[in-house]
Amino acid sequence: MASKYGYESTAVVKTEPDDMSLKSDKQTLLAVLQFLKKHNLKGTESLLKQEARISDDDLRTNEDKKTEVTQALAAVYKSDDDPSLYEDLYGDLKKFIDSCLDVHKVELSTILYPVFVHMYLELVYNGHEWNAAEFYSKFWQDQEEHHHDDLARLSSVRKKEHMPGNQLLENFKTSKFVLRMSRDSYTHLKRHLQEKRLSPLLTIIQDHLFIDVFDGVPRTQQQIQATSGGLLGEVDKDANKAKVFYGLLKEPDLNILLDEDDDAGEGDEKPKKKKSKKDPLLMKKSKNDPNAPPVNRIPLPELKDQDLRERAMAFREAKRRVKLDHNHLPSVCFYTFLNAYQGVTCVDISEDSSLLAAGFTDGNIRVWSLTPNKLKDMKDPDDLDLIDKEADDVMERIFDDKTACDNKLLVGHGGTVYATSISPDRAYLLSCSDDGTIRLWSLYIWTNLVCYKGHNFPVWDVDFSPHGYYFVSAGHDRTARVWATDHHQPVRIFAGHLADVDCCKFHPNSNYVATGSSDKSVRLWDMLNGSCVRIMTGHKNTIHCLEFSPDGRYLASGGADNLAVIWDLSSGAVVAQLKGHTNIVYSLCFSRDGTILATGGLDDSIRLWDVQKIMAEQDTEVDTTIPSNITVNDSPSLLLGTYYTKSTTVLGLHFTRCNLLIGCGPYLAPS
Amino acid sequence: MSSHAKSSPKDAQVMSAILKDMGVLDSETRIINQMLEFTYRYVTDIIEDAKVYSSHGNRKVIETDDIKLAVQMKLLMEVARQKNTQPLPLVKPYCGPRLPPDRYCLTAPNYKLKSLKK
Repeated sequence: MASKYGYESTAVVKTEPDDMSLKSDKQTLLAVLQFLKKHNLKGTESLLKQEARISDDDLRTNEDKKTEVTQALAAVYKSDDDPSLYEDLYGDLKKFIDSCLDVHKVELSTILYPVFVHMYLELVYNGHEWNAAEFYSKFWQDQEEHHHDDLARLSSVRKKEHMPGNQLLENFKTSKFVLRMSRDSYTHLKRHLQEKRLSPLLTIIQDHLFIDVFDGVPRTQQQIQATSGGLLGEVDKDANKAKVFYGLLKEPDLNILLDEDDDAGEGDEKPKKKKSKKDPLLMKKSKNDPNAPPVNRIPLPELKDQDLRERAMAFREAKRRVKLDHNHLPSVCFYTFLNAYQGVTCVDISEDSSLLAAGFTDGNIRVWSLTPNKLKDMKDPDDLDLIDKEADDVMERIFDDKTACDNKLLVGHGGTVYATSISPDRAYLLSCSDDGTIRLWSLYIWTNLVCYKGHNFPVWDVDFSPHGYYFVSAGHDRTARVWATDHHQPVRIFAGHLADVDCCKFHPNSNYVATGSSDKSVRLWDMLNGSCVRIMTGHKNTIHCLEFSPDGRYLASGGADNLAVIWDLSSGAVVAQLKGHTNIVYSLCFSRDGTILATGGLDDSIRLWDVQKIMAEQDTEVDTTIPSNITVNDSPSLLLGTYYTKSTTVLGLHFTRCNLLIGCGPYLAPS
Repeated sequence: MSSHAKSSPKDAQVMSAILKDMGVLDSETRIINQMLEFTYRYVTDIIEDAKVYSSHGNRKVIETDDIKLAVQMKLLMEVARQKNTQPLPLVKPYCGPRLPPDRYCLTAPNYKLKSLKK
């Protein structure tokens, strides 16, 4: 088997225990000798040399293998027991778990996967190739379906030499697999292991697993399924302890601008009649929300007059919006990309629904206008001098009407564009690409302004902060980086994910960033100090999209496991699992009032879910630190409707300010 | 050149053997070429980095340790921790477009005007 790859190693099929132990003994002796030499313990060294009958030649040949031996001394997998024992041990563990009471069985069966993996890796590490292969083929099909991909990757490691190259293995070797278990089940397991004196099993469990014991009833199958799936198991109770300020920032005082809207003449003469209509809505927001972060927690750009006018307009449009609930579903307007030849990779729509940007596999970006206003270039500096800067419509005057057109092409990236993000003030566009760079484009002069280099690997997602100025990028290097548009290097680096970070999103209050990764976990990071404040496991495959609810309290995530999951950020616990999609979920969007969630994906459908019902049914009084108290809502009645497109993947979803749902995607002719 | 031509089919054979072992029984012919190209590019990258490290250590030959160093993630957690302990930079008020210093932007003219004086 080894010679097939052209490697120059001895093709040992069956290992004999005697050979191995002799060799390892000599290795250890040589290592000890080297240690003594290093520390100048000459007397002891010569004595040991004499007694063990080790010649100088042996020492010299050992110099080359120094690193391997020193590694052996600090071996991760210490025990080198009889390889044939492993199969018996594992089989025994399985039998024991089957014999337990049903209530303990589901909890204890979660231990089988990590034990299987570590036993296999121990066999490989100690060179028992044949035994490892036998062990794997006997038990791999017993493992849960969602582990099969990871197991396939692990099975490519047959020899010890393969181990350092495999990233998944590194993760298993360096970090502990976390399990949560009720005290009853745990004592049951411990008693069994101690009674039977199954020491290799015990050492594996002690060295490589971390069992977080909680006092409460054992969990049901449904509860375990809701949080299992993470690359290294679940999370211990300390991971989600920190307080998260999920509330929205205090709104600036918009009263003045709104009064200007109606009769300018009345003013303060009839305060009660006019202001009472608007004030209650604004007054509610200005009360201090204990869950909202202080406004100056992180430095944000100050609001210019233009921004305040924009907000006032948004507020007015919000009053006109359609109220959605399970009886009033939104209308959907779908934009289809034709003749894109599978080239569209990502779509983004601006907050006011006026612009649509799409990234392509050839590295180009196109921006379209979704309103009757066409896209225009900014005027020349000479013409700009002639404009009256105090005029109300100065923002329209700076553009040259002669250059109006439907769409603009932005060329610059050297690789596939994986994500685009339009700034909230529609002045900038960000794009990230396969070439490892993030580019900032001006939507006034339609050129590339800055190229941010930091990730040396493909960047999978980029997102502007809702207040502008900051943006976050997620890449293949397992980090998410936060940048400020005026700094050429990142201002924050969020490292901690065990695999590629596939998507990132800013919280509506710009104080937190959520990331989803190929390690099947969703993490929430604090902008202030870069710490990870929430780790949420439960997805069984890569996470492709994230969305915060408009009130900032909930986070929805969608992934390759065809699920959309809603998490409560105050506790980090899963609130609902939305099952229904038959293929990867690529896009999510909450309605503007947070009552409906729209999801879309590779199965060519848009599904609407009743978030209002989920909130109503959620039990907020329960103590979520005890895993068995968490109830996961996955009832089929949450699905309000499924709308199919004609063979068009739904890549982007967006609710307008008036709650019209816009969807976009490329039309792929069915083959 | 001839020895080079002889070695590529062998690489292709090795690649298809690896694919078969991973359970991929049937694949387009392009796949093997793409995988070989990827492998070649990756290995060249690593060896180039390793060359830098070995020259940094005043060595003439690339050692296995240089390769190991090149492959390791460059102290990512350390860099992240350093960056995250620094407070976020204050936002300067009343700026125009907030862009980095000009030398980090792409806004410089990429042409020079030639004088007409003959």
